[in-house]
Formats: sequence, C-alpha cells, structure tokens
Amino acid sequence: MISFPTEIQVASVNVMTSDEGGHSTEQIVELAMDRILKVSDTAPPAIKEQAEAFQNNIRQVLQHYIELARREERATIARRMAKSGHNDIADLVRRI
Amino acid sequence: MAITQAMCTSFKTQLLTGTHNFTNSTGNTFKLALYAISGGGKSSTTATLGASTTAFTTTGEVASTGTYATGGGTLTNVTPSADGTTAITDFSDLSFTTATITARGALIYNSSAANAAVAALDFGGDKTSTAGTFTIQFPTADASNAIIRIA
Repeated sequence: MISFPTEIQVASVNVMTSDEGGHSTEQIVELAMDRILKVSDTAPPAIKEQAEAFQNNIRQVLQHYIELARREERATIARRMAKSGHNDIADLVRRI
Repeated sequence: MAITQAMCTSFKTQLLTGTHNFTNSTGNTFKLALYAISGGGKSSTTATLGASTTAFTTTGEVASTGTYATGGGTLTNVTPSADGTTAITDFSDLSFTTATITARGALIYNSSAANAAVAALDFGGDKTSTAGTFTIQFPTADASNAIIRIA
C-alpha cells in the first residue's frame, strides 16, 4: 500500500489593540506591512539587505498616504458638520 | 482551564462529511468569538478551548462591548484555493471598535452548521483594548502561513 502524509494545520493570528480610540497610523502601517512583505531570517545577507531597504521605502510611503487619508477624511467630516451648522463639532474633528 | 491553539478534531471529521463550505458569499457563515481565562469571561467564567472543543460556547466568552456582541463577529470568507499542493483558506481581518476587551484566545466556528467549532486560537497572552479597537489580523494566505491549510 502506498500512503501519503497529509496534515491539516491552523496558523496563529496577529492581534492589535488600541486604547481610547482607533488604531494609530503606525499600527495600520504595521498591519499592512505584515501583508505586503516578510523578510526571512535565513535569507542571504545581500538579499536580506535589499529586501529590508525596500520594506523601509514601502513603510514610509504607506505612512505618508495613510496619514494623508486620515487628514482628508477628517477635513471632509468637519466640512459636512460645519455645513450642517455643527461648527463646534467641526472644530473638534479638525483638531484630532 | 486554558486555551490551546488547535484545529478542532470534530472539524477534521466534519471535513470528511462535507459539513463546512468556506466559499465566499455562497458558503457558510463563520464567526470568531473572543475568550478570556482566569475568570475574565462574562459572569466570571473561564474558557477552555482546544482540539476537543466541538462547538461555540458562551463559557469564558468576553462580555459584549462596543461593536463586540455575544457570539463574536462574522468573518468574511476567502474562497479556498491551492498554493502548490497545499489547499488553503483565509478570512478578512476582523475589528471590534469602541471596545473594552481582555482576551486570551478565540474560537472560529460555523454558525451555519449548528455552531460547529473549526479552530481554537491562542493569542499567547492577554490582549487588551480599552475603549479602543481590537483587531484580529489573519496571516498571509499561502502554503506556509494561511490560517487553515491542508498539506
């Protein structure tokens, strides 16, 4: 009889938490980075160095655009609030 | 009384009887519930989860808070696929907002199939959010890392 080993596996999840509000830009960047690129500890040094440089570039781009997206969203919300006559709330949103 | 990372044994059996369908949209509804140990669950209960868990239980489940309600959150299935010779499936990340939670682990279960347990997840330590966001991020969906893999 010929048999083939088959295995069913469950992986670990990553848990991220925040206090008094949502995730920070840095946390969101880390969540995204975990999905985009992983650098193996066993990679040859030259490849590892290049991969880490690429990883840092991606991290900076994400940081910039996520921050921009958050700011623009706040601007839109503040404008909607102001247009509805809620200037005090609009001011609070703008200052976040 | 503990939470041990494991694929539930009953789930393995149910795979052979066609109980579970992970297809996106048209498949079953899978949920993820959060659990606490050391009496940290609702009504001071403690969770015991592992390979022998057969179904969702409220014992040790964290209390409802923010967008977390009893039974946990509904997962968005990613239709199973093959990566080389390994079959994999995945879920979209899940977040509970404005939530005050201390959880040590979670249970993925099939609410379309009598809440049958799929997998117990051990966070490796207590994870806490205070009036904040509690996010569960699933690993990269490939043959080496996907949340559920049949190799």
